[in-house]
Formats: sequence, structure tokens, C-alpha cells
Amino acid sequence: MALLAGVGPALCPWPGVIALGIAASVVGGAGTLARIVPLATAGGALALIAYALALALEQPAGHPLTGAALGAGLVLLLALVHFAARTRGAAVDPRLARLLLRHWLPVLALGVMVAAALVVGGTLVALGLRGVALPMVMAIATLGAVAAAAGVIALVTSPGRPAP
Amino acid sequence: MSWRPTPLNLSLITLLGWALLLGVLSGRAELIVAAAPLLVALAAGRRARPAAGDWRLARSVSRDRLVEGERVTVTVTLQAFGPSQLVELYQPLPAHVRLARGHHHAFTAAGEGREIRWTFELHCAGRQRLRLGDLHLRRWEPLGLAAAEAVHREISEVSVYPHVTPIRRPPSPARTQTYVGHHVSPAQGEGIEPGDIRPFVPGDQVRHVNWRATLRLGALHVTQHHRERSADVVLLLDTLADVGPAGDSAVDRAVRGAASLAAAYLARKDRVGLIEYGGILRQVRPAAGRAHWERLLDTLARASVVFTYVARDLERIPPRVLPPQALVIALSPLIDGRFLGAAADLAARGFDLVVVAVSPIAAARTLVGGGAVTDLAARLWALERRAELDRLRGRGLTIIDWDGVEPLEAALAVWQRRPRRRVRA
Repeated sequence: MALLAGVGPALCPWPGVIALGIAASVVGGAGTLARIVPLATAGGALALIAYALALALEQPAGHPLTGAALGAGLVLLLALVHFAARTRGAAVDPRLARLLLRHWLPVLALGVMVAAALVVGGTLVALGLRGVALPMVMAIATLGAVAAAAGVIALVTSPGRPAP
Repeated sequence: MSWRPTPLNLSLITLLGWALLLGVLSGRAELIVAAAPLLVALAAGRRARPAAGDWRLARSVSRDRLVEGERVTVTVTLQAFGPSQLVELYQPLPAHVRLARGHHHAFTAAGEGREIRWTFELHCAGRQRLRLGDLHLRRWEPLGLAAAEAVHREISEVSVYPHVTPIRRPPSPARTQTYVGHHVSPAQGEGIEPGDIRPFVPGDQVRHVNWRATLRLGALHVTQHHRERSADVVLLLDTLADVGPAGDSAVDRAVRGAASLAAAYLARKDRVGLIEYGGILRQVRPAAGRAHWERLLDTLARASVVFTYVARDLERIPPRVLPPQALVIALSPLIDGRFLGAAADLAARGFDLVVVAVSPIAAARTLVGGGAVTDLAARLWALERRAELDRLRGRGLTIIDWDGVEPLEAALAVWQRRPRRRVRA
């Protein structure tokens, strides 16, 4: 959690960003140690805000790899905290580690690959949209983000299919 | 078994929303890129839900009868023939049972026909009919984004019997039955216990001639013998009220005493019956033998306090359950006055009654802990109780005071030193 919270302050050591990073570390760390998923989620959100603030203040050159690593780290953190919360006080078969790694690593790798594809696609779209007015670009981006969020919500909240 | 999304989805969606929102607000592509792994995880969680396949789940217990304080091993066997997947197993524990070894909640990787054995030990502190209920099984999507639940319906019962301490000399009955047993009857006849000496009459056997008396008195005299007979014993257990922690309450102690007495009398070939006097009036008619001993233990294991305003009338109990010649041993913490009334009524009706007063003070003290005020209250309670027992003795009741901690035989020995009533046939 400290690594994820430290991305923003490392990028821009401004007091506000550092304070947000510390808050993210404390909240997320508490959630991780106490195995409380909502607290870890709050810590992750604070880390994202610190990272966004650092990017807005510093305006560095594009760091898509850092963004992809941050996203993958957040997924890993939440999955780990959730698993630890579920297995509290229970006997855990050592063979589970192999099973989980076999499933988690491909998901993370796929996430990084999709991020890379997004960067490439975004670059191509940026080239395509060069010269278009800024409000139009913002509107298209917002529409894209809203469509993505709606798709995810629809995917997750649709009725579960019975297992065969 | 249908898959349901877990709250982890909400957490991922929250972070995804934040990443997209911040990306749009700041105009930085890195945040949109950061959202990609979150989106992929959500989509993967939707897809990676293995089919249930064929399952075999079984549960067994190492013993179906044990004595309180002993342990029972529960073994769960799981065999799944589908793809390897994350499985959670949970066995809810009944009250008054604690885990002695292992866990009653486990996570394992099942599938590909592999058999998984999961064992844990339960410690049964108090007597009871232990019922292990349904076993819960939950299959997890590997990231924890969805779960499918199932319940394995199976009941396993274990009888936890009260602890029995040996009693060498239980209270002797005032009246005996016609069957051969271990109690010396006042009636003369065939037996080994010598009785009176009387002059010889035709028909007496030569082996009964008392030669010493014959030489001294100058005429043939014979020794008479007492018959050895069995007795009917009815244990009257008071379950109207209780005090103390579960597994070591006053009623639990009384039950242990009742089981010990039953074992002692059954070993002497006596017939033993049981009446549970409480909210539910349970009865076991007097009988002897191994099967009857187990029947008594089963009834004692189930004995519990059921609240009622009704004062049960023992007159309604049929004579075959409460024979008029029986020795009635009442075990009670003497908390509820209705039991005292019933016991006094039995004594007034001519029953040979012995009341074992199980002290509830020690049981109550284990519940409330120590302290000066508690000590003072316990001393006052003990004084009150002693005065009450003296009052009952003054009314003609035979009272044996037992603290429930020391062996019951010690309390009986104190009582047996007193002169005993003459046994009537």
C-alpha cells in the first residue's frame, strides 16, 4: 500500500500531495492490516487522487507504465485484502497459492497489455484528432469514459448464470 | 448453485470510477491507463467462473457416544471432478462445543478428481445430544469477484453422556423387592447373611444347625438367614431451575450425580428409574441391564431446563414408573419451591425419600467470578441454604448436602455414618 501511495509524492513532492500520500498510506495500510476491504479501497482512491494531483501539478511527460503499474497494484491489493478477509480464522490449503497465482498473474498481465493497447490506441486517436477543438475532445473522452463505466456496471450487475 | 457477485466488485468499480473521473478532470492519460487493469479484472471475474462439475461431499464423526470432556474427530471428505477451483467449507458449531484442534472453516483447492480430507476435533464440555448440522460449501472465482454457495444436508448426532464417578455404598433402600439382589432383607429365608437363632424344628436342614448354641443350651438350635433382595430406585431430577455456566451448572452437577447413582444401583442388580421433574416431565420406568443403562444416559444427556409456571403433580405418574416400594432419590439444587413441595408430598405419601441437595453456590460463583462483595453474598447464601436444609430436616426429610464438586460418595459417607432406620420387608 505504501508503494502505491508513494507514486504521487515521488512524482511531485508538493506538501499537499505528500499529505494525500500519507493519508492514503495510513487508511489503506489500516485496511490491509485489519483486512477491511472498504478501508483498503478508500486508501486506493486516495492514492489515485494523490497521483492525479501530482500529474496535474507537475505536468510531466507521459508515464503510461506508471499508470498501468498503479492500476495493476490496486487490483492486486484489493484481491489480496479480500482473500485475507475471507480466510480469517480458517485453515488454508497450501496448494491454494499455486491456484491463485495461476489465475491472478494472467489477469494482471492482461491488464498491463490492455493498458499498453490503450496507450497505443490513444496515441493513434490523438494523432487523428489533432486540430480538433478542445471541448470536442473533452466531450468525446467523457462519453468514452461514461460508456466504459456503464459497460462495466452492466457486466457486473447482470443476473448470474447458473453453473452447469 | 448460481454465481453471485461479491462486494469486491463494488470496490473495483469505485476505483475504476475514480481513475476515469480523475483522468477526465486532469486530462492525463496515465489515469485512464491505470483504469485498464481494473476493468480487465472485472471482466475476467465475470468470465472465470468454473463449472460445478461432479461433487462428492461426505462427513463422518469418529464416535457417536462419548463422555463429557472427551473429544470427537470430524472428517469431511471432498472430491470434485471438474476443473481445479477455490472452495470454501464451513461447518457451523452447535452451542457448548468448542474447537479442540484444527479449524471448522477451511479453504482448499478442489478439482480434477483429487480427494481432499479435512479433519478437526471438537471438545464437548457438557452433556448433550450434539447435532452437527448442514455443511456449507462455497465456490469462489479465483479473484474473489463471484461466489456460488451450496449446502450439504446431513445430520450427524453424537451423544455426550455425563461423567460417572464410582460409588461403592449408595443409600440403602428401606424396602426391598421380591427378586434376588444384593440388599439384605429383614425377611428370613435363603441367604448368606446370618440372622436370629431359634430352636430346631423338623424340616430344618442340618447345615443350618448352630453347634455352639446347641452345646451351650443343650438342645438343637439353627441359625436363620436374611434373604438378599433387589430394590427399585427412582431418581427424581429437578430441572425446574438452574444456575451456573453451561456444562457445569447446578443441574449438570445433579445429572452427574444421578448418573453415578444409577451406575452404582444397576451394578447391584437393582432396577433404576428416572423422572425428570421440570417443564417437561420425562419418565423412564425402573428396569435393569445394559440397554436400560444406555436409555438412562440418553435421557440424562437430554435433561434441560424448560421454563414453566405449572407445578407438576407426581400423583399422576403411574405406579409402574414410581413403584410404592421404591427408594426415591431426589437430586435438586433446591432453587424452585415447587420441587420441594413435590418432594415433601412424596415423603408424606410414605415413599422412602432421600434428597440430595446439590449446592448451586459453587456453580453460581464460577459464573460471576470473585470479589469481596461476591464472597459476602456467597457466604450469606450458604447460611440461608444451611438454615433451609435444617428446616427441611426438621420436617422429617432426609437431606444429603452435596456441593457438586467433591465426589458424591464423600457426601453419602457423611450421611451413612448416622444410625440407619430399620429395614422393613
